Amino acid sequence: MCNDIHYGVKPPEVCPTCSVQKAYMEISSEEAQKTCDGTTSVMKKADFRQAIERFAEGNEFRVNPDQKRVETLLKGIFDNERNHGLKYCPCRLITKNFEEDLKLVCPCNFRIHETYKDKEDGECWCGLFVRRKNNE
Amino acid sequence: MSRLIMFHGRECPHCRIMMPHVDRLEKETGVKIDRLEVWHNEKNADLMRSYRDVIEPKCGGQLRTPTFMNTETNDIICGEVEYETLKKWATK
Repeated sequence: MCNDIHYGVKPPEVCPTCSVQKAYMEISSEEAQKTCDGTTSVMKKADFRQAIERFAEGNEFRVNPDQKRVETLLKGIFDNERNHGLKYCPCRLITKNFEEDLKLVCPCNFRIHETYKDKEDGECWCGLFVRRKNNE
Repeated sequence: MSRLIMFHGRECPHCRIMMPHVDRLEKETGVKIDRLEVWHNEKNADLMRSYRDVIEPKCGGQLRTPTFMNTETNDIICGEVEYETLKKWATK
């Protein structure tokens, strides 16, 4: 309805932009590519850093305060994008099944992982995101 | 003959933390652990993928790094562990 393009293995039940339910139409990857080509540019590491900070804002998790760790991970994520096409987690290996490997694109759905779920000091597997403490 | 392998990623912080344990283990026990980097070396990555059926059930259903594997017994350790745990795995 709002002309936003959602990228993933299946469309969202509710559009996060216009909040309309099941109002989507599938398009080919070629069409999506054509639409995006005119509007997107390559994301820089600093932009990605800001994007994950915004992603974590108001959530029960935050970007790991260990700056050195975050820098290492961001280098890996961007190396992976350059060498393997997408921002894959540097602490897990792709299987070469594209749909399956989408689950490894950062940020991943770590809230369902055993390293995060139901854990007071939970974190995603690589440690880029950590659960906030009460006073954070 | 068993081969001990550590599959690791160059930019994986867990792997970096485990490296001194591996150094110490090799020095103290004389065992050799092949350190195979998987994100910048496709041959190593393919080798890790070839063990997918063995690794994934023990690593949260994924090919996570670091993974320590005994190719004979299929004993697997995933992620950061204490030195003694690693030693027990390597000298079993």
